[in-house]
Amino acid sequence: MIAITFHFLTAADFWIGVGVLAATYGIFALGLQLNVGTTGITNFGQAGFMAVGAYTMGILVAKQGWSWWWAMPAAIAASMLAAVIVGLPSLRLRADYFAITTLAFAEIVRYLADNERDLTEGSQGLLGYNSDWFKLSLRLGDWLNGHGVHVTSFLFPLLLVSWGVLLVLTLLVALVVRTPWGRVLRAIREDEDAARALGKNTLAYKLQSLALAAALAAIAGFVLALNLTLLVPDEFDPVFTIFGFVIVILGGLGSYVGVILGSVILMTVLEGTRYVELPLSSDKVAAIRFIIVGLVLILLMAFRPQGILGSKQEMLLGE
Amino acid sequence: MSDAILEVDGVEKRYGGVRAIDGASLAVERGSITALIGPNGAGKSTLFDVVSGFERADGGAIKLDGRSIYRLPAYAIARRGLVRTFQMTKTLNVMSVLDNMLLASPDHPGERLSTWIVRPWAGRRRERDARARALHLLEAFELAAHARAYAGTLSGGQRKLLELARALMLAPRLVLLDEPLAGVNPTLGRRLLEHIEELRRDEGTTLLFVEHDMEVVMNHSDHVIVMAQGRVIAEGSADEVRRNETVVEAYLGKVVVA
Repeated sequence: MIAITFHFLTAADFWIGVGVLAATYGIFALGLQLNVGTTGITNFGQAGFMAVGAYTMGILVAKQGWSWWWAMPAAIAASMLAAVIVGLPSLRLRADYFAITTLAFAEIVRYLADNERDLTEGSQGLLGYNSDWFKLSLRLGDWLNGHGVHVTSFLFPLLLVSWGVLLVLTLLVALVVRTPWGRVLRAIREDEDAARALGKNTLAYKLQSLALAAALAAIAGFVLALNLTLLVPDEFDPVFTIFGFVIVILGGLGSYVGVILGSVILMTVLEGTRYVELPLSSDKVAAIRFIIVGLVLILLMAFRPQGILGSKQEMLLGE
Repeated sequence: MSDAILEVDGVEKRYGGVRAIDGASLAVERGSITALIGPNGAGKSTLFDVVSGFERADGGAIKLDGRSIYRLPAYAIARRGLVRTFQMTKTLNVMSVLDNMLLASPDHPGERLSTWIVRPWAGRRRERDARARALHLLEAFELAAHARAYAGTLSGGQRKLLELARALMLAPRLVLLDEPLAGVNPTLGRRLLEHIEELRRDEGTTLLFVEHDMEVVMNHSDHVIVMAQGRVIAEGSADEVRRNETVVEAYLGKVVVA
């Protein structure tokens, strides 16, 4: 007997949870869109950059006693540095080597986080990095209450802040790819040799693209860390990079507004399917969620291969 | 040669045991239209790749205007004024014709992220100037009507024209054209040749091109260099080369007189 109830769709807590996740992976996928959709480099290590950002922030605050406000820019810098170190040798090679290298990098980071317990607490989880945020979150909640918004969920301030960050970053990235700088990235996507023949140092541009994606991953990592209240290595599994790719493809390759749409849709489906009640064990139900996501993607590829906001003409010309 | 813009001296390029270029030496005179010919597999395209920095040479010397460009990266060579086109046209098909042109604008401050933080007006001003120059060139190449269209919607011949027009955005001193007329219909081909001659006459640009159409080579070049098996085997005026026995042999095989 399959029982699907849709009551959850009217519950505020459900949507607040989905909203925070959509903002997290929206910021995360913005970086992938910059790499894959605009520059044409296949970054399979986005979850690794997210881990570097989140853990650097967590360790600096919880273990080193840094202020959260200083730890965040330091963590962004660490993630960007990781991108340069990974990219410098591998971005000179063919695209497939780069993809494998970034995937391997992300796995190395995850294994390190699992095993370097003195620093990361491994799978026990790293705690104690969010007291500065708590103070801010409470103050924000009080302020909202004082202005007639009745805040019931403690996640509500995070929802507001994360969406503010997502919208500002989307706007910034969408603007910056419209500049001549972004034009060079698109030229690299189209034909890197043509860009080199016209005097562009393509390696430098690919590195900048990757480093910016890593910075976005780090910021997504902060939101994730505040949402979870503890950091565990499993949250940085390569499957989250694949989710990022699903978001980019759903929304449309090269479309930055599409990233927001794709993220909201994917997270609604992923979270909504938690409420499907089946006479099966929980791990089987978890597998069914992925099957549903897969079906959504197959249907999209069949009926709208360019994604929701992608351009069909660009897709055909690009072949 | 009196005034060489490009000097290639004893350049070698090996792929494993194969000597694609085996000590090739040549010089291209400033302001000339020079043709590079030779049978298939002679090393012409490889020589282009090595000279333009797309492949690393294994020995020899290469000088542009007296300064060594040996083993410099491709983008640095392009910035010094040596721009090439490709045998397989490399237009950026999912970008507009105008964007293809603007991309080639040299040393554009708007191509650095820092510009958009520190002095965005510099990026915008340069973009305006580049746009004017691009539209001017597109006008000359009769592509202005397509400025907003995706480059991928142009015909093969128009793409060849665009590739040449785009190269000119860099105001190059030397242009290397790899089979500029391959797959181009005769009308567009004639126009392309006119542009090449105009370019030399009006801008003093030097051109070096690979071409298989002997009629074009004989009628449109002042100097012909012949390669075979990775070496330069002959050079001179079109007439001299045509009468050269080594050249005939390279193309047709040795004539055995019984």
